[in-house]
Amino acid sequence: MTEVSSPNSSSTPLQTILGEFRNISPETTKAVIFKEDGEILACNEGDIAKDRAKNLAAAFDEIANHSEVIGGVENLTIQGVNSQINVTTTNGRYLATVSSRMADEKRVKALTFVVLPTIIKLMDQIEPSKLENEPTDPPNSEAEKEKETTKPQEEPKHTEQPKHTEQLSNPHRMLSEQNFPKPPVNQFMVEKIAGLLVASDMVRIDADIVAKWVDLYGDREISQVNVETLEGRSVRCKFRPVREADSKAKGIIQIPERILQTLRLVEGKLVIVKPVIPAKWEEKR
Amino acid sequence: MSSKSSPNQTETSLTNVAVISSSDADDPAFASLGASLVEIRKMKGVLGYIIRGNSSAAFDLAEGDKITQFAFLSYQLCESCLEIAKQLSVATIESALVEGKSLNVLFVNVGENKISVFMEKNIDHSGILKRVLI
Repeated sequence: MTEVSSPNSSSTPLQTILGEFRNISPETTKAVIFKEDGEILACNEGDIAKDRAKNLAAAFDEIANHSEVIGGVENLTIQGVNSQINVTTTNGRYLATVSSRMADEKRVKALTFVVLPTIIKLMDQIEPSKLENEPTDPPNSEAEKEKETTKPQEEPKHTEQPKHTEQLSNPHRMLSEQNFPKPPVNQFMVEKIAGLLVASDMVRIDADIVAKWVDLYGDREISQVNVETLEGRSVRCKFRPVREADSKAKGIIQIPERILQTLRLVEGKLVIVKPVIPAKWEEKR
Repeated sequence: MSSKSSPNQTETSLTNVAVISSSDADDPAFASLGASLVEIRKMKGVLGYIIRGNSSAAFDLAEGDKITQFAFLSYQLCESCLEIAKQLSVATIESALVEGKSLNVLFVNVGENKISVFMEKNIDHSGILKRVLI
């Protein structure tokens, strides 16, 4: 039996934005935002079969899985006889639009590949803090604000802290803390990493360095790093520590082919790596 | 260049073009498209192509050592585009453009022949598409 997925209530802003698509580009007949598992976050054309969305995500992922040679997939445009499909992915969400070939291509591409991904990213930044701040003690209350502004600045903690992969146990506390150190800069030697189980958008870093970041930032979760070449090219990507069993990883950053190509790097080169401080932390400084 | 994989397969090298054919029968559409692609390959920023017909295939790639990766991508692009079109109720695919972070790939579906043209990102793919379809 075909399972039909409808946008859930938490995705209402996305639903509203998709609804506006038809005003901006009336030739866009279908627009859907969905997750890898087929869950529909927003759709401008009623319900859509969950299986369909799942198949769409899988088909797009199959291209992405073989796209290392072109540096990974950013966007896909398919031209039919009368229709045009645009597919893109951002932050684990997929966006697909179907438009008439008569549609203004630039407008459709701008909506699909620029406007919506940007909105999704913004929502991702806003929503977690909004959801996490909902319990009993609203952080935006006047008393809380006053407390935050008068709180003396603390030295960064250097005690043993939870691993960086742990979820934030107390995001409220995270937001209320004002002071944290500047991101440390580390230099690593590049090692290429490949294999079936290697994520193409994730680098692996000397676990000791990651542990130092955890010491430095406590229970704030660092999820991304900025990798910069000596020539000035840089990318922001996810990371994970190199397995402890691999003792040869001292001072090494393992980078998948896709990122190497983006940075035009080869093995043995040096790169500078900094943990990425989320904007919401900076705002609270 | 890859070597012969079976007795009835032939491979001929015409300058940089490798042609693999499983039969001796001529396919005029394949030959015509192949000729267009040879010309397209000469364009600045075009890094190579792969054309796959029912019984023949040909490629010319700047980075020959990556032929397997390009071939996998070319095949997957065709399969996935068909699947995506099917899921979104789009009947026939004429072409597709994959915008990669470092390169773009133009896929063109001409009858039984599937073509992938690999190009730098700053190249206007619509010009190439027109030349393929002429």
